Amino acid sequence: MSVRNSSAGDNNPTKSRSSRRRTFFTIVVLFAVIAVFLVRLVDIQVVQADSLTADSVGNRSVGQVVYGSRGEIVDTNGVVLAGTVMRFNITMSPVNATPFKRTVNGKKIEISVAEAAAEIGAATGQSGDAILSTISTALKANAKTNFAYIAKKVDVDVLRAVQDLHIPWTYSEKSPSRVYPNGAVAGNVLGFLSGEGVPQAGLESGQETCLASTNGSETYEKGADGVRIPGSSVTSSEAVDGGDVVTTIDSDLQWFVQQTLAARAQETGAAWATAVVQDAKSGKLLAVADYPSVDPNNVGGTKNPEDRGSRAFTQSFEPGSTFKALTAASVLDAGVATLDTGIVVPYRYLPANGANINDSHQHPDQRMTLTGVLIDSSNTGMSKFGELLTKQQRFDYMKAFGVGTATETGFPREDGGILHAVDDWDSQTNYATMFGQGLTTSALQIASIYQTIANDGVRMPVQLVEGCRQSDGTMTEVPDVTGTRVLSETAAHETSDVLEMVYQKSWVASKWNIPGYRVAAKTGTAQMPDGKGGYSDGYLVSVSGYAPADDAQYVVSVSIADPVKLNTSAAPAPVFQEIMSQVLKKYRAVPSGATPPDLPSTW
Amino acid sequence: MSDNLARAPFSLDSDQFDAPTPERRGFRLVSPAPSSRARPRIFYALTSVAGIAAIIVAQLLLSVGISQGAYEISSLQSNQADLGRTAASLNEDLVRVSSPQSLAANAEGLGMVSNSNPVYLRLSDGAVLGAPSSASGSQAGAASLVPNALLTGSTPLTQLPDDAAAKAGAVAITSAPVVPAGLAAPTTR
Repeated sequence: MSVRNSSAGDNNPTKSRSSRRRTFFTIVVLFAVIAVFLVRLVDIQVVQADSLTADSVGNRSVGQVVYGSRGEIVDTNGVVLAGTVMRFNITMSPVNATPFKRTVNGKKIEISVAEAAAEIGAATGQSGDAILSTISTALKANAKTNFAYIAKKVDVDVLRAVQDLHIPWTYSEKSPSRVYPNGAVAGNVLGFLSGEGVPQAGLESGQETCLASTNGSETYEKGADGVRIPGSSVTSSEAVDGGDVVTTIDSDLQWFVQQTLAARAQETGAAWATAVVQDAKSGKLLAVADYPSVDPNNVGGTKNPEDRGSRAFTQSFEPGSTFKALTAASVLDAGVATLDTGIVVPYRYLPANGANINDSHQHPDQRMTLTGVLIDSSNTGMSKFGELLTKQQRFDYMKAFGVGTATETGFPREDGGILHAVDDWDSQTNYATMFGQGLTTSALQIASIYQTIANDGVRMPVQLVEGCRQSDGTMTEVPDVTGTRVLSETAAHETSDVLEMVYQKSWVASKWNIPGYRVAAKTGTAQMPDGKGGYSDGYLVSVSGYAPADDAQYVVSVSIADPVKLNTSAAPAPVFQEIMSQVLKKYRAVPSGATPPDLPSTW
Repeated sequence: MSDNLARAPFSLDSDQFDAPTPERRGFRLVSPAPSSRARPRIFYALTSVAGIAAIIVAQLLLSVGISQGAYEISSLQSNQADLGRTAASLNEDLVRVSSPQSLAANAEGLGMVSNSNPVYLRLSDGAVLGAPSSASGSQAGAASLVPNALLTGSTPLTQLPDDAAAKAGAVAITSAPVVPAGLAAPTTR
């Protein structure tokens, strides 16, 4: 033991010296290496941290928009009137637009830029030169530009055709867009979107809160080959689809009404025309047609911006004689006259207040009942009945019928018409309002007046939208459908009987005859304003009515503005007949059994 | 002093040496032989290396499996997106051909006319309501007055050449509906 110790003690001095040196050296090297790592660490983690993070995100992480789908607008049977489809924008990198190699039949051939442009053009329906000029224009603006559009909003077939070309400098991006499968059917009511997807008119605009969707976003990392790295997907916000707007429109009927209306409007050289079909019991609008029709797929094809809206909602006019039904109903409801009350109807009537009323054609004094006055559509006769009520009474009836107030449809920029306060009526207006002048109504309001009479005196809110159907099937924003009584049941039936007599005895009776059904209807012919405070030569001719009169189910109101070739109610009467026949046939209305009333028109 | 000092430890040493000698020998004897000590070391090293290797291989296989799955998912997803686009595109076509304009054009192409003069037979008394007359087609000719830009370029099926109509398959109305025997097929158009 002691020997070993001493011998170890002998070797120690040299050994420990070299070992200490080695230890020292190792430690120095170690520290040097650690220092180098430390410096690099600080450099990476602190000094260059931001730019490196950005680089890494750019290299691997891909953020993309998850598109929410804008809701559909559907008709009452679920037929899609407006829907969202995915379209694609074909883009390219002009700076990288260079010749490239393509393998054809096992051989590599070079495709020049001009050849590639011609191929793209063939797929997108452009000329190759147009694409070449897109490239040169983009490069002229910015020599290093990496982005230019080749074609916007192409469908999936075009996208695939372009992708199959495998041109390395072309790309695509999603671009959701709106499509209207039925074209101009209800186009005026639906409205349309701008190129950027902003609603411009109609239901698209009015129901924006229901239809609007919210885009989401999603981030994931991808490898060098573009494949998503498993588990790296992070959805930062979910896309929310819009709700569907369910309308009360029936697209088949809507098409028929538009087609019939357009045919007659063109035949008579009309400026514009509207037709409304309303369910008499529920107040639901089954068709709202406008001529000229706009095709929301091709809004630019309708040159006049005013033709792009729905005049049925947004254009009010002096209704003329169709309004006499309202005055007659008011008189009967107030009990100031009966169906037997007789008056003497002159050609010209000069009431005590200084007004001056005359009929449209010269005639001797006639002894008429209310029925006779409506059949002949006499202004003087209507005045003699109307003056049995006070102005205020008539004003209150008009208000109750919905005159002067926009209907409940909530259609954007709907025109509620003009109904001045009673105090502002001068002596002529006092009488003119009895036969539909001195106030304005929209086509819808006229339909609503007839709906009220047809529905036993109960006015139903005019309804265009059933509600907003959410993705889970629940309906929200369902409109109130509580009716209000305007007339007593008796007064409504009496007015209805008078209107049935008009249907049978009017001078257009042969033009609107619908065999098998009892119909109530009234014509109207009103001068149109010239826009300068006076009247133009043009007339707005209209027919409103409902059937079957014994159990009224459908209201049809047709208005044709300025039909230069046929300036009378004979213009809209056949349209009324065709539309009403179609409605009765389509909905299988049971033909009337009872015989129509026969009221005396003279005494 | 030095002698004394030198001697003292020795004596102490020898004292200690003599007394616990058996204990020291016993301690040496139990110390393990070098060979028996080396074998377990290699065994343990091999075991742990093999374990690590196994873990690495398993890890590798798992990650290969996962990325294989990722490729599969990626390819299936792109497949699904592609099929979704095809379905959407076909659905668009279907909706377009079922638009009223398309139906009307095709019906007229087949020689059909619309009749807005319905006549009813009342079963209770056999009364004929309305005046029966042949349908003349109340619509204003074949021209559609309600435009549809989506139908631009599409031809009514009856005007397609026969083979093209046959190719249109499900959409084409190539065969007349089966008429039960005993019911005369209408010959008038």
